[in-house]
Amino acid sequence: MASFLQLDSVEQNFTRADGTVLEALSTINLEISKGEFVSLVGHSGCGKSTLLNILAGLNQPSRGGVILEGRQVTEPGPERMVVFQNYSLLPWRSVRQNVALALREVKRELSASERAERTEAALAMVNLDKVAERMPGQLSGGMRQRVAIARALALEPKLLLLDEPFGALDALTRGHLQEQLMQLCQKAGITTVMVTHDVDEALLLSDRVVLLTNGPKAHIGRIVAVPFERPRCRKAVLQHPDYYKLRNELLEFLHDQRRLSNRKPAPPKPAAELQAAAASSPSPKPIRLGYLPGLDAAPLLVARQKQLFEKQGLRVELLRCQSWEEIDDLLRIERLDGAALSAAQPLTMATGAMASTPLPMVVTQTLSRNGNALVLGTQLSISSSEGLLLHLRQGLPLKLGVPDRLSMAELLLRHWLARQGVDPAQVSWQRRSPMGLLAALEGGLIDGFAAGKLRACLAQHRRSGRVVLTDSAIWPNHAEKVLALRESWVDAHSNQANSAAVGLTAAVLEAAAFCDQTSHRQELLQVLTEPQAFGPQLLAPLQEGLAESNLAKDLNQATSLLRFNRFFLGQASYPDPAEGLWVLTQLARWGMAPWPNHRQELLERVYGRRLFLEACDRLGMIDQEPTQRRYQLAEGEYFDLDEPLSYATNLPFSTLSPCLP
Amino acid sequence: MTVSERRGRRVEFNAIGKSFPSDSGCVEVLQGVNLSVAAGEFVCVIGHSGCGKSTLLNTLSGFETPSTGSVLVEGEPVEGPGPDRMVVFQNYALLPWKTALENVVLGLRSIRRGEPRELLVSEAKAMLETVGLGDALDCHPGELSGGMRQRVAIARAMAMKPPVLILDEPFGALDPITKEELQEELLTLWRQQRCTVLMITHDIDEALFLSDRVVMLTNGPSASIGEILSIPFDRPRDRDSLLHDQRYGELRNRALEFLYERQGG
Repeated sequence: MASFLQLDSVEQNFTRADGTVLEALSTINLEISKGEFVSLVGHSGCGKSTLLNILAGLNQPSRGGVILEGRQVTEPGPERMVVFQNYSLLPWRSVRQNVALALREVKRELSASERAERTEAALAMVNLDKVAERMPGQLSGGMRQRVAIARALALEPKLLLLDEPFGALDALTRGHLQEQLMQLCQKAGITTVMVTHDVDEALLLSDRVVLLTNGPKAHIGRIVAVPFERPRCRKAVLQHPDYYKLRNELLEFLHDQRRLSNRKPAPPKPAAELQAAAASSPSPKPIRLGYLPGLDAAPLLVARQKQLFEKQGLRVELLRCQSWEEIDDLLRIERLDGAALSAAQPLTMATGAMASTPLPMVVTQTLSRNGNALVLGTQLSISSSEGLLLHLRQGLPLKLGVPDRLSMAELLLRHWLARQGVDPAQVSWQRRSPMGLLAALEGGLIDGFAAGKLRACLAQHRRSGRVVLTDSAIWPNHAEKVLALRESWVDAHSNQANSAAVGLTAAVLEAAAFCDQTSHRQELLQVLTEPQAFGPQLLAPLQEGLAESNLAKDLNQATSLLRFNRFFLGQASYPDPAEGLWVLTQLARWGMAPWPNHRQELLERVYGRRLFLEACDRLGMIDQEPTQRRYQLAEGEYFDLDEPLSYATNLPFSTLSPCLP
Repeated sequence: MTVSERRGRRVEFNAIGKSFPSDSGCVEVLQGVNLSVAAGEFVCVIGHSGCGKSTLLNTLSGFETPSTGSVLVEGEPVEGPGPDRMVVFQNYALLPWKTALENVVLGLRSIRRGEPRELLVSEAKAMLETVGLGDALDCHPGELSGGMRQRVAIARAMAMKPPVLILDEPFGALDPITKEELQEELLTLWRQQRCTVLMITHDIDEALFLSDRVVMLTNGPSASIGEILSIPFDRPRDRDSLLHDQRYGELRNRALEFLYERQGG
């Protein structure tokens, strides 16, 4: 799948005067289609202009590269024109000469009359034919920028690059030029990348807005698709029902980046003020939940689509995030009230495992079971788990990508390797955002990855990887994702007679029950591939991977009832502290966190069984609570709840010493 | 009545017109501007560059005299600058050779001659602490960031507890985060002192967050009031909830439409 323009694993480092290295950009992957208009938005110093210069060929990236129509970009060229904020016109040449000179320089193959014709056409295009004889100094800022744009377009570049083109202009001129540029780009069908910090400008002009995180190590924080129909006009765009939703999404991202950079915790508001605000506000703040695109987000997306939150009297917004790190950050700055997390995360967050600051979370239900797969790159020529073990037993290296926060995928894979007699320390574990795993595999940065089935489907669809193992072979029906809410949020909303946490759980529970009916599977795919969920480009791979059966047989036999994640059936939704206990044994076993002193108390606090059961009551669902005391993993392995520490100590490669109390 | 008990005063612009002589005769900047601002109200004035916003507020501050009409404060005509109407500009207008504290004390001294210096210093200190500059009392303006300088300028104006405060694009030169902080500090001070505020801004989001009414001027020459938006959000305002309020987008679009469609030509 060759795209028109591709940024592949681009990194940029600068060496400071004192010899230390500044990592400005880290692993930028972006594909841009022909004719697309993409904006790069971020705070000053985030590296967006650096990125534009790399596209222009003015900067060489430290790693990775730019590919335009199959060719690597290594130097500036006339097929990529840049327009800067400061116009960069020749001040001693007239408007017409500025355009004509550029044409003469670049389009030597054209005759003089053809060049003259093009010059006039370009000037007419930006309505400057009447001032063609003036010198730049005699023009207003807006007119000068129109000359610069006309000059760039006269060269008919494949790619137009704009670096804050209207930043220096007053609001009115800026508005007019934006509309003019939009018409020009629409007419010429030219592929454009624009750097801006103006979110209204980005929304008006772009097909996609790429939000960059604050540097150092700036990376793509989020990509927002702008769905307004073309041709566009400002008035219609502003009146689009989603305009302010999108604008708020961009503003909040930028706001959050600032707060994360400052790391200055917001002062807590006095309780009286909060209550007053809650009482007087006509529209209370919506509950905000984060998720990463993955099949296990289905219950949340279905609850939104079927308006099940509204049914519980709640306003809920779902925020699609780009990495677990982003979700973690947004929970800490209280931008999110909760999230769909890997079942391993609430406990690592609550205990402050792996040197993080503790953040108490409450799990109100299990969102999905099963669903992870181990994918190996096709270049490895390993097609089965036996082949993988053979590879490792020969002492060969293996770089495996796993989600960027401790995940069930990683814990189960470590557990499986140890069971097979392979020390997991032999593997080089690369924690990355799940969204970047496939690109990292295709870019040769990793040999394989363990992640959700969505990415496994994509790897198979693109023939870049194959599934060699699924987690159902390690622990059938283990808890994979959970709905976790900030404890402080749950506490703040628990005095109400109508507890928001219970309503939220009830809504998602009802959605989960919907997801687990075989007859709803096609509708589920529709919901998942809607533009506001994952996007229609995933429909084909998902259908291939889920509805058809030509993926690895394993992948589709996760459960007997359904061919993919289990959401509800068989008491699947219960937030089971016993499963949390298993996570604790693994954290202790690998030395990621000490064995907790008060584990019962910790588990009771993290697993909000009471909230879950209240939600079941509200829906009239009965018997959702299992009673077992022993859990069966694969191959006859049992996990006994009554002896967790001895279980953890006796596991292969455990770092716990047996003499512990 | 002591200084601290003063409340904002009513401001009235009656049929204000303003013309300036030019090479080709006479340019009429403003024409027939009528506006009544209630005591303690917060009003923002927006319009395109050159539309006469600053000229209008200069007739209130007393820096300019209207060619026609009159400006009344609590029924009394304005006849020149006075300490009851303090102005804060975008460029701070601090004395660069004085420290932050001295700049504020100087402002206080100008209206309260004869009072003991210690009293003025302690009031100035308290005001600078309110705007978060307790640690920068002895810094000179050159040592302060733009946001901190503007805080000093606001502290200097507010220390004098003026019944009317005039702000001419005070946050136009600041980065977005500093701007938001200063907007919130300004609202806090306004709530404490209950003065009448007239503020010029280019930033519609700023106007919606701060004001009770947004006055939109038509394009000059001969600018007048095109439309007035009432901003219905309850106070104290929370920026986040405001952005998510459906009315926010509607009001913002109304203002943008005025600026781009009807005035953009």
